[in-house]
Amino acid sequence: MRLFSAVSALAALAMSATATFAADRPELRIGSVVAMTGPASALGLPEKNAIDLLQERLANDTSLPFTVKFITYDDGSDPTKAVNNVRKLITEDQVHVVICCTTTPTSMAILETVTQAKVPNISLALGQSVIEPASERRWIFKTPSTDQLQVTGLVDDMVKRGVKKVAFLGLEDSFGEGGWIAMQSVAKAKGVDIVASERFSRTDTNFTPQALKVRQSNPDAVYIHAIPPSSALVHQALKRVGYTGPIYHSGGSANNAFISIGKQDVEGALVGTTPVLVYTDMPDSNPLKPVIAKFAALYEKRFNVPKVDIFPGQSWDAVNITLRAAEDAVKAGVNFADVPAARAMLRDKIEGVKEFVGVGGIFNYSPTDHLGLDKRSTFISVVKNGEFRLYESK
Amino acid sequence: MIDTVLFLLVDGLTNGLVYALLALSLVLVFTVTRVVNIAQGEYVMLGALTLADLLQGRMPGTLYLLIGGLALCAVLDAGRWRRDWRRAALYTGGLIVAGVAALALTRGALALHLPVIGMMAVALLLVAPLGALIYRFTVHPIPNASTIVFVIISVGVSMSVQGLGLLIWGANPYPVEPIAAGGVMMGPVFIPYQSFAILITALLAMGGLYLFSEFTLIGKALQASAMNRLGAQFCGIPVNLTGALAFLLAAAFSAVSGMLLAPLITANYEMGFMVGLKGFVGGAMGGLIDYPLSLIGVMIVGGLESTSAYVASAYRDVLVFSLLIPILLWRNTRARAEAR
Repeated sequence: MRLFSAVSALAALAMSATATFAADRPELRIGSVVAMTGPASALGLPEKNAIDLLQERLANDTSLPFTVKFITYDDGSDPTKAVNNVRKLITEDQVHVVICCTTTPTSMAILETVTQAKVPNISLALGQSVIEPASERRWIFKTPSTDQLQVTGLVDDMVKRGVKKVAFLGLEDSFGEGGWIAMQSVAKAKGVDIVASERFSRTDTNFTPQALKVRQSNPDAVYIHAIPPSSALVHQALKRVGYTGPIYHSGGSANNAFISIGKQDVEGALVGTTPVLVYTDMPDSNPLKPVIAKFAALYEKRFNVPKVDIFPGQSWDAVNITLRAAEDAVKAGVNFADVPAARAMLRDKIEGVKEFVGVGGIFNYSPTDHLGLDKRSTFISVVKNGEFRLYESK
Repeated sequence: MIDTVLFLLVDGLTNGLVYALLALSLVLVFTVTRVVNIAQGEYVMLGALTLADLLQGRMPGTLYLLIGGLALCAVLDAGRWRRDWRRAALYTGGLIVAGVAALALTRGALALHLPVIGMMAVALLLVAPLGALIYRFTVHPIPNASTIVFVIISVGVSMSVQGLGLLIWGANPYPVEPIAAGGVMMGPVFIPYQSFAILITALLAMGGLYLFSEFTLIGKALQASAMNRLGAQFCGIPVNLTGALAFLLAAAFSAVSGMLLAPLITANYEMGFMVGLKGFVGGAMGGLIDYPLSLIGVMIVGGLESTSAYVASAYRDVLVFSLLIPILLWRNTRARAEAR
């Protein structure tokens, strides 16, 4: 009898414990819209993979003071679909935070929707216009680096080498235009003259004329803002016309296609890059190294890829920043059931995230900076023996 | 200064020769079938990507296109069985043999690790029949449609083939080995051997087409259908077959130009369209009917392209395509003078 009462008491205790435990752990809902299909799917699928990976890991994790529910939709790389899906997340699924979207056009399309609904959004797009000016983009944050930041890193290195005159070569599309705008403002700020600005397109069959023009402007360094194949082909054309100075590339060239097309001609190319590509070469003292190494090991094992690229890290960081903000919100006594109030508080807490070490860099958000990254998060890699190696700026 | 001019000249000439093969294809197709083939550039892409696949030891995606096309052909001709089952059986049998032969050829080539030239020949055999198949699906069913209908159809074909290319090969560019690596310094100008290969191949192709149309019966039938389709039909020339042949030859020429171009700029799914359009601008010089004038046209296009890329790179395509306006004005006054 005593045994029975003891057991039943224990059972009751256990039951109440689970009950209070469940009540203690409210539900945080994170909605994401990424491009799983369409032209941007090469970026969107890895992003979704990283979210899935985090979801699997959180399923059995009881250390967080809340449970996390993930809702993920596809936008097919289409702005209209992105807007519809974000609306659905906000009104039907009642999410607290939105992570959207993969590309700059889709991210621009949803600005209005999230701002009116007062829902914090973390974008995975490259474009700086998504988050600037921060006063108008109160609810929007982003994790990937920007052209401005990368170009600044490269121009700093040029200045250290004593470069006075730089020539710009860029794609004649929105990507190239972004690089041109960044280059103009950075060069002006750092006192470097732009002596030539030449354009080409991905479908061009000959890049030598532009290379000739650049060589004749007699620059101390050349900056190429393009993606392979054209970035590698322009590099080859510069070599062909006898240009021997340093050649810098945007992050668009930080991939294997660049080396497999350019081969020995691109040896010595200086490529702006995010930490993920070169973390193995970093000194152990760099706080980014262990974070990236852990993420890379997890991702590579789960999805069976030889080497993780930059895209999954962007959504991984977005979710982790959300979790950090949610933890802070819980400490501040947030009530996740009161969705509008919780959204507002989460926004404030995301903006308050400081020194967060992610895969893409060290984030310090503030009311005037919704990118949160600084110089510590941009790196230059150099092509050496057909591989990208970390380049130490002198 | 002098070396800049030389560079621009050499590159303009090289690109002009690539466009020349395209203009050749366009004129051939237009004269025989009255189709202004906007999709001609897509064979450039198919040729280049097929070669890239073969050189890297993969089964080329073109093979699936070819076998799928042959199967569709058999389905479309199913009606024949009721009228004349013997010929239908022969025809379907022929299609199956062609499919199996293509498969065997590709396997064999991959197993033997042929040199670049050999792989180019195999790629050519895989891509050229696609021209005839596309003729069968898009032009053959409506032989008397107006030119504008054919133009619109060819735009559709171009979009579909490019979409299939993206589906099969993805958006990645593929590096392609040149026939001969390296190059030679001529004065101050470095010329890759590939440029010479382009020159030789273009001359061989043009000469071959000339000999074929002047000295063989099939070639003469092709010429006859080009001069007067109805008259040729009355003389017992199967104009549908000559049409298919024109498409096949044009696909072959364009595919060759793609394979020659690929080592210089890599192979990717969107490389063809622009090349096709520039060939078209050159061809317009000859009104899409005159071979020598078209050749002059493409050389002007190649030269203008490389100089305008040097002088004002942001406007180089604008300048090249604006060339169409003076060309058409010139042709118009010429046509009027002739009419008088």
